[in-house]
Amino acid sequence: MIESKRRRRTVANIATYFVLAGLSMFCIGPMIWMLLTSLKYEADIVTQTMQYIPRRVTFDNYVAIWTQSGFPRLIGNSITVTFLTVTICVATGTLAAYAFSRFAFRGRTQLMLGYLVVRMFPAVMMIIPLYVVMRGVGLVDSRFGLALAYTSFLLPLFVWMLKGFFDSAPRELESAARIDGSTRLGAMVRIVMPLARNGLVASSVFIAIAAWNEFLFALMLTTGQGSRTWPVGLQLMVGEFQLPWGVLAAGGILSILPVVVLFAIVQRTMVQGLTAGAIKG
Amino acid sequence: MTSSSSRYLPLRALGELSETRYWMYLLLLPSLVMILLVIAYPTLYGMAISFRDMRLTRPGLDGWVGFKHYAGMWSDPVFWIALKNTVVWVTAAIVLELALGLLAATALNRDLPGTKIFAVLILLPYFLPNVVAGHMWALLLDPRLGVINDLLVRVGVLETYKAWFADPNTALAATVLVEAWHGFPFFALLLLAGLKSIPEDLYRAAAVDGAGVSAQLRLITLPMLKTVIAAAVILRVIGLVNSPDLLLILTGGGPGDATQVLSLYAFQTAYKEFNFGYASALSVVMFVILMIFAAAYIRLSRITKGEGDD
Repeated sequence: MIESKRRRRTVANIATYFVLAGLSMFCIGPMIWMLLTSLKYEADIVTQTMQYIPRRVTFDNYVAIWTQSGFPRLIGNSITVTFLTVTICVATGTLAAYAFSRFAFRGRTQLMLGYLVVRMFPAVMMIIPLYVVMRGVGLVDSRFGLALAYTSFLLPLFVWMLKGFFDSAPRELESAARIDGSTRLGAMVRIVMPLARNGLVASSVFIAIAAWNEFLFALMLTTGQGSRTWPVGLQLMVGEFQLPWGVLAAGGILSILPVVVLFAIVQRTMVQGLTAGAIKG
Repeated sequence: MTSSSSRYLPLRALGELSETRYWMYLLLLPSLVMILLVIAYPTLYGMAISFRDMRLTRPGLDGWVGFKHYAGMWSDPVFWIALKNTVVWVTAAIVLELALGLLAATALNRDLPGTKIFAVLILLPYFLPNVVAGHMWALLLDPRLGVINDLLVRVGVLETYKAWFADPNTALAATVLVEAWHGFPFFALLLLAGLKSIPEDLYRAAAVDGAGVSAQLRLITLPMLKTVIAAAVILRVIGLVNSPDLLLILTGGGPGDATQVLSLYAFQTAYKEFNFGYASALSVVMFVILMIFAAAYIRLSRITKGEGDD
């Protein structure tokens, strides 16, 4: 009886590892293949018989994407746009998230629901009027304009995520500081912000990754070299210059590198923030 | 000395301001201004555009046309194809993602040694950019040098390499596969958190009562997960309906209109033809359909939840 139970558990454990290994392979297999492709000579990519393990390794593709295209410029623009987006969201969203988390006031529920509903707006529905409006005020093809456009869908997300982190920061220390004569502002800056620091970092990283990856708004709102971000640039290179596979793969690896690194660092806190809302709701 | 005291003065004033009863409204003001500026105003303006003729290629054309664009949609065959494809594409992707997500979450929830690293690997695709995901899979499924074709031929499933994205019969299915790869970690994430919130005691009690694995799944896991599944599905449906990115990169709606969906059709009408009026009308219709679906879905999932409680 006990023997068969133990056997059954062993079988279940093996099956679990089997499933996890299979799913992991499905998830990162394509990325590994892209990495391998980026390290191959073009002649080894376009062959009659497929080379699974590259017989010779080269970094030519990385050199090519970095020196023979506007790639560094695109990356620079993406860094600027991402930085601006995160700055706007942190500057305005942190205050709002704090207000939603700590105060009861008239219209709170409706306003929070409003921040949720705007996330449902289709990107296309926003892109067209934003393009027309921004063309009117000279913000098309500007990095600041693109960052403003990103705020339209990232700020509500940021506020909701950060509110969850503020909610889980204990109120007692804040109350103690208030009793000791600290102002609300003082308590917020000196007590709550440090307590919710990890959450603030994780929410910011989430926004940063989304801004770094964004393609559709950037395609519509950037028209020239001055503000074009890497996803648009890479996509246009594929269309215009028939980019060789190896070079395209190298560009892909370079551009996901910062995402993978940031994700690896803050994934635990970020996951916690992403799931909190859905579980409670 | 003087500079530091003059810097302190406004801070002190702000500190005093924080004691007034308008403080929370002041905190909300900056983000509210941003949202009104970049969401509310453009949205209203966009709805107005859908009742106007607006083509950037013909600057003179700029009049109110009432419901012309909406009436035009009725007799536009591409609109109906796109609508049908949207339903098929979203449904297929959701079913696949939910199944994979449930599988991943159940396996991860057993907390066997070493599964933390698997969790990180499984979540990774969700954070990757569409542009890279699209080209990566285009390379994997390439008709000349795609490794998936090579593997399938070696195993004997395929006779020759197949052009997955160029064949109208397989194009939509191939894009669903890519979308599922990109999106199922989201389900895994939420479902895992949902599973973790189910008390262990329930399973122990059920095991004592002689409930097997399948009975536990049917009687405990799924009912307890219902809210999480409902929330995850609605969020993902909104995401899928609204974002044409991956299809734009993989197929551009082709071959023919085999992978044309509403969001992509609206985007291309604006981006390629500069027909902003019709594109706006398309996106407004898409938004209304989505709202109706969301409202009906939330009501339905509430009703079933209510029955479960009785």
